[in-house]
Amino acid sequence: MRQRSLAIAYWATLSILAALGLWAIYLRAVVGLRLTNLTSLVPWGLWVAFYIYFIGLSAGAFLVSTMIYVFGLHRFEAIGRMALFTAFVALVTGLGFILLDLGHLERFWTVFINRSPTSVLEWEIHFYTLYAVILLSELWLLMRRDLIRAGQEAGLRGRLCRLLALRSTDLSDVSAAADLRMVRILGTIGVPVAIAVHGGTGAIFAVVKARPYWYTGLFPLIFLVSALASGSALLTFLTAFFARRKDAEHQEMTLALGKLTAGFLALDLIFLMSEMLVGWYGGVPDHIATYRAMMFGPFWYVFWIGQLGLGALVPLILILNRRTGRSVAWVGMAGALIVAGILGVRLNIVIPPLTVPLQPGIDTAYPLGRVSSFALDGLNLLALRLGLLALTLAIAFLLARLIRLPTTTLGRSAALLSAAAAFTAIVFVNLRLADVLPAAQMALPGSAGRVSTLPLLFGGAVRSTDPSFYSPSMWEWLTTLGLLALAAIAFSLGWLWLPLEGLPELPTPQMRRFPGFNSGRGNE
Amino acid sequence: MAQKRYGLAIDLRRCVGCEACTIACKQENHTPPGVAYAKVIKQEVGQYPHVRRTFLPILCNHCEHPPCVAVCPVGATWKRHEDGIVVVDYNTCIGCRYCMTACPYGARYFDFGDDYNTPQNDFEQQPSAEYGKAWPRDGGSPIGNVRKCHFCLHRVVRGEEPACVVTCMARARIFGDLNDPESEIARLVAERRHFRLKEELGTEPNVYYLL
Repeated sequence: MRQRSLAIAYWATLSILAALGLWAIYLRAVVGLRLTNLTSLVPWGLWVAFYIYFIGLSAGAFLVSTMIYVFGLHRFEAIGRMALFTAFVALVTGLGFILLDLGHLERFWTVFINRSPTSVLEWEIHFYTLYAVILLSELWLLMRRDLIRAGQEAGLRGRLCRLLALRSTDLSDVSAAADLRMVRILGTIGVPVAIAVHGGTGAIFAVVKARPYWYTGLFPLIFLVSALASGSALLTFLTAFFARRKDAEHQEMTLALGKLTAGFLALDLIFLMSEMLVGWYGGVPDHIATYRAMMFGPFWYVFWIGQLGLGALVPLILILNRRTGRSVAWVGMAGALIVAGILGVRLNIVIPPLTVPLQPGIDTAYPLGRVSSFALDGLNLLALRLGLLALTLAIAFLLARLIRLPTTTLGRSAALLSAAAAFTAIVFVNLRLADVLPAAQMALPGSAGRVSTLPLLFGGAVRSTDPSFYSPSMWEWLTTLGLLALAAIAFSLGWLWLPLEGLPELPTPQMRRFPGFNSGRGNE
Repeated sequence: MAQKRYGLAIDLRRCVGCEACTIACKQENHTPPGVAYAKVIKQEVGQYPHVRRTFLPILCNHCEHPPCVAVCPVGATWKRHEDGIVVVDYNTCIGCRYCMTACPYGARYFDFGDDYNTPQNDFEQQPSAEYGKAWPRDGGSPIGNVRKCHFCLHRVVRGEEPACVVTCMARARIFGDLNDPESEIARLVAERRHFRLKEELGTEPNVYYLL
């Protein structure tokens, strides 16, 4: 009974969020980039950060799957398909974000006909395409036999699986062994492709010599390592809480995955430290200014609290600590924290370097600061506010169910605390999104002259006087939340309907026998 | 003379920081708010009573090796072989803004579709004449595109000088072909002390600042 109401709350939250998001995406398609808070000084913002975030999650999850199918780490076999499916959903979500970001999104397909071999972005789009093909082929080959079996069931799931089986009917072990061999080959091709996918995404930034913060050889590697950290962290979280078979083997695998994640995260921190030490020592003004903006700017908490605190220190303690490190739930929560923390990494990659003027005075020579010049009125605004109210209620309902899940006292109090914090933040964000908050802040006694000193939590409420200041507009947030909800829905549906779990029940793969060839042992 | 190399020399001793170039440019190209191909950085140097105001007019440098061109994923921006002007094809540009992050001079602007007046006034409704075509401001390109200085290409092909050059009352801006040794700009660059912006990046700008 409890499970059922939890599921209702979950789906209600996601569908309200997705509906609001789709509406915002529709508005963005019709109105254009006018509804963003981007400027010519900070031309990339929230969407680009989420784009590299999801490409990173995808590449990371895929590389974890190659550990199983290419490098033979069979202890993680149970999450292989989940890893590939996650990678695919994340890839599509990431591409959705970059599509949203285009000034002329109806022209996106022209990247395939207008050639530009010198552009890293152009290369990347081809790598994404190749990568998507590899991902889907591997996933299909691994699920093929289960799809055929599930296709024999009646009902919606059976019909879907029948459709996805693509008329394949061969259930023999020989065909499954051939599948696995093909997966191995595809995975082997996939390793360099995945490295190109995310290392290359890093190279998009690293080749920009105009921004010293991006222009380092380590930058693509930081992308790769943080991708591995976020991808394996996401899989840790998913397998900790969403695996159907929870036995000793599952516990052992989840904890091992958590350790692996901690290793990647530690490597990521070392890379970050190397970049920062070299940057500060060099003292190149633009480079230092970027670090200043990141660490002591208006969004300092993204770095200190998000990226370093909740995103690195706390999860490392949770995983490596002797007590919590043995609990699947705590390690899974650590995974969730790392996944969230890497978002801070991505935001800090994209935004702070752009807020640094390319030359003293260039930002103030002509008024370039702008805010979204699009606002709803009348019934549309009312509909938005009602939607956000419904969302807040659904989230309250969901959180109320979620805090009952932990079994230990420590877990319960931690859940209660974080739920309270999350809910406060969500109410705050929703007030902001409903366009109520700025008015509320203005109405605070004594705030008239000091509006810009109010906290910029989640941004956009108060605009600082700096023309290079950027915080996402409510439309950027709504579309982003919508895409996140759509990704979660896609994942949940896949989890419900697709055979994402289960091992390839095979005897040891047969040696392939070629007619007339006896492996060099002469005629037997 | 087959291949031209158009450039601009800005005499900093003559510039008075009147921003007439900014205005003339905006007028000529019908640029919206937040887009100004030509602008002037004004800074104060020194401390009272020894204070001076410096003016540095900036625009696209039409670099010999433009970093913005290489990064475009659809080849919508290129350096014209015949005259060295870096142009944008509004009908090809997908608006990804990669070139804006790659330009070391902040010379590229995004047209977000903002207007000075709602509804647009008579001037805003007139089409922009950039690249020899009429670009009405009705929701299509160049809205959603990256825009930049093109040395008023539509004027240059008619044999006229860029709007900012014509309007400069101090005659601080000298436009011409750097490949023609007899041109005024080539002689000035050869004779006068000058600098270019961020030369260390190897972009080889074609805008020279005369000291």
